[in-house]
Amino acid sequence: MLAALVLTACSSSGNNGENPVKAAGVLRVGTEGVYSPFSYHDPATGDLVGYDVDVARAVAEKLGLKVEFVETPWDAIFAALESDRFDVVANEVTINDERKQKYDLSEPYSVGEGVIVTRADDSSVKSLDDILGKVAGETATSNWAQVARDHGARVEAVEGFTQAIKLLNQGRVDVVINDSIAVYAYLAETGDNSVKIAGTTGEKSEQGFAARKNSGLLPDLNKALDELRSDGTLATISKKYLKADASGGPEAQSTWQLVLHSLGPLAKAAITMTIPLTIISFVIGLVIALAVALARLSPNVILSNIARFYISIIRGTPLLVQLFIVFYALPELGVKIDPFPAAIIAFSLNVGGYAAEIIRSAIQSIPKGQWEAAETIGLNYVGALRRIILPQATRVAVPPLSNTLISLVKDTSLASTILVTELLRQAQIIAAPKFEFFALYGTAAVYYWVICLVLSFGQSRIERRLERYVAR
Amino acid sequence: MTELRDDRISAEGVHKAFGENEVLKGVSFSVAAGSATTVIGPSGSGKTTLLRALNALDVPDAGVVRVGDVELDFSKPVPQDQLRRYRAQSGFVFQSHNLFPHKTVIENVTEGPLVVQKRPKDEVQAEAVELLRQVGLAEKRDQYPFQLSGGQQQRVGIARALALKPKVVLFDEPTSALDPELVGEVLSVIRDLAIEGWTLVIVTHEIQFAKQVSDQVLFTDQGVILEKGPPAEVIGDPKEERTRQFLDRILNPL
Repeated sequence: MLAALVLTACSSSGNNGENPVKAAGVLRVGTEGVYSPFSYHDPATGDLVGYDVDVARAVAEKLGLKVEFVETPWDAIFAALESDRFDVVANEVTINDERKQKYDLSEPYSVGEGVIVTRADDSSVKSLDDILGKVAGETATSNWAQVARDHGARVEAVEGFTQAIKLLNQGRVDVVINDSIAVYAYLAETGDNSVKIAGTTGEKSEQGFAARKNSGLLPDLNKALDELRSDGTLATISKKYLKADASGGPEAQSTWQLVLHSLGPLAKAAITMTIPLTIISFVIGLVIALAVALARLSPNVILSNIARFYISIIRGTPLLVQLFIVFYALPELGVKIDPFPAAIIAFSLNVGGYAAEIIRSAIQSIPKGQWEAAETIGLNYVGALRRIILPQATRVAVPPLSNTLISLVKDTSLASTILVTELLRQAQIIAAPKFEFFALYGTAAVYYWVICLVLSFGQSRIERRLERYVAR
Repeated sequence: MTELRDDRISAEGVHKAFGENEVLKGVSFSVAAGSATTVIGPSGSGKTTLLRALNALDVPDAGVVRVGDVELDFSKPVPQDQLRRYRAQSGFVFQSHNLFPHKTVIENVTEGPLVVQKRPKDEVQAEAVELLRQVGLAEKRDQYPFQLSGGQQQRVGIARALALKPKVVLFDEPTSALDPELVGEVLSVIRDLAIEGWTLVIVTHEIQFAKQVSDQVLFTDQGVILEKGPPAEVIGDPKEERTRQFLDRILNPL
């Protein structure tokens, strides 16, 4: 229903000539950033590169536009396109009829062939006819997943090609179907001989840019692609990235070197994203929590029921869904919020719901006699709360609130799904071109752990301070 | 003491029920300025509720209470700010002291004068030190309540109530939660207050103490004041059979 609304909304605005991209002078391009060799970060420089990325750059240049890349996990990429996070997707979007109905698809700029990858010792698969009943590792919304399903395989949803290959390596899926170029790039990069190309899908696939339906961008995109094709630019870019043979990959880097090189970028992601996200969300969340806790304790039935409802919504729905609603669903209602503030809003509301119950029970744990004593010396409600009750409730609330804070540190990794390049996302970006997930996730885990260690240390200091007036 | 009315605190037809349970069934009495009144009676007779009604900690269902010249008539709802203005007239000492555990002894005493009455800090501080000296705890000023004995905690509770310079001080069984050997130090502080001319209302089980310090004794039973008068009459020569039984049980427990 919503999608239909969006489509009609787009078609009414899309046909009236003036195209907003030209007006802005910027072409915003959505891409995965973890799909080597099409869209990934150069391990040496950290820059976003790849075949699709360079083609998008060249197209923008032809059109006299600046280009701005927005990195998005594949399965969120069309949602982000529709919620106007960017104008086109440049990420090996395979052209098919289904997509043509929903999106504006450009002429193809790459042609690939689907291949079936299995473990080296698996001889049971030679063609698509053999994958019936097998488990395939594919991103849920990709055309490869559809191919696998059409031939009777069960699709295990993964986040991207590189993870699919890892799952294959580990024996958790039986086959991976993907573009031959991606597979050759993987084999070249890793020298992995535990997997092999077992066969082809027998069909060529064509990849192009995707834009919102009736975006008005197609004529320009196609014209630019034509020019790039005829002046040889596409071929040049292709030679740079797409090596259909398995020879001459980039300079091999040891895992250890990769981890060493990742320390700086990971620290930067932690300091500029993960930590601020945690602190700001926690502070705002506590303010919300206190207000909600007081509303919940209020004798006013309407107020306390609103508070109850809020708490039940927040605790009864997954944080990931809350993030998605703020980031992807609100734009459909006309409220568009940038990734970082959107993450702050979702996390604050989440902390607010959980901490409200902690604060409520902490307030209730203070004996009634304290309220009465405050009354008898003439303090009003706010005064009693501020001077007598909350300082004591704080002592009770610090340990569980610390738990909430420490959970929050790790929950911020979910912000990667709404385009915030925080610690975990940064690790993914670095890991993808080298397929070194274990090493990079491990390094990220150490960073999270260190942050939490520091927080635990802070917690025990605060606790010791608050214990000063309690008998031990 | 020159006062237009010589009664400092009074109650008129005070009713209070908790659900079905009618705890006060129309209680009336008055206390003269500068005098000490003790309230005795069996447990469950409504003494504590009576004292809490006098301070509007439990808001009565009906009746009139007055401290000084501030009067509350509970025949209609009383707004919060009026309740607060009324409460400010009296100090309250709890059975379980209810000191603020996160504040030091002197902070407990100065909280009301500084934060509520907004009086100058130097003055309040000096008075608090003097009050603590009066209850014998000057050297404990910077300790936390948990570092004190029960009797010391209760004496801080008394200093806290006095710091607000109330017209009357209400005591709710101030020694009931104490070990027997600590009772004396608290009672002697209260006796000194009576001698100094504070107006006091004390709910207590200490009959000997009541006899010594009171100008007036109220005997409550089943939600009414059964007998009132000077201690020589109510304790020394009770008219009512119930009063006699009660005193006999307390004075000769075996």
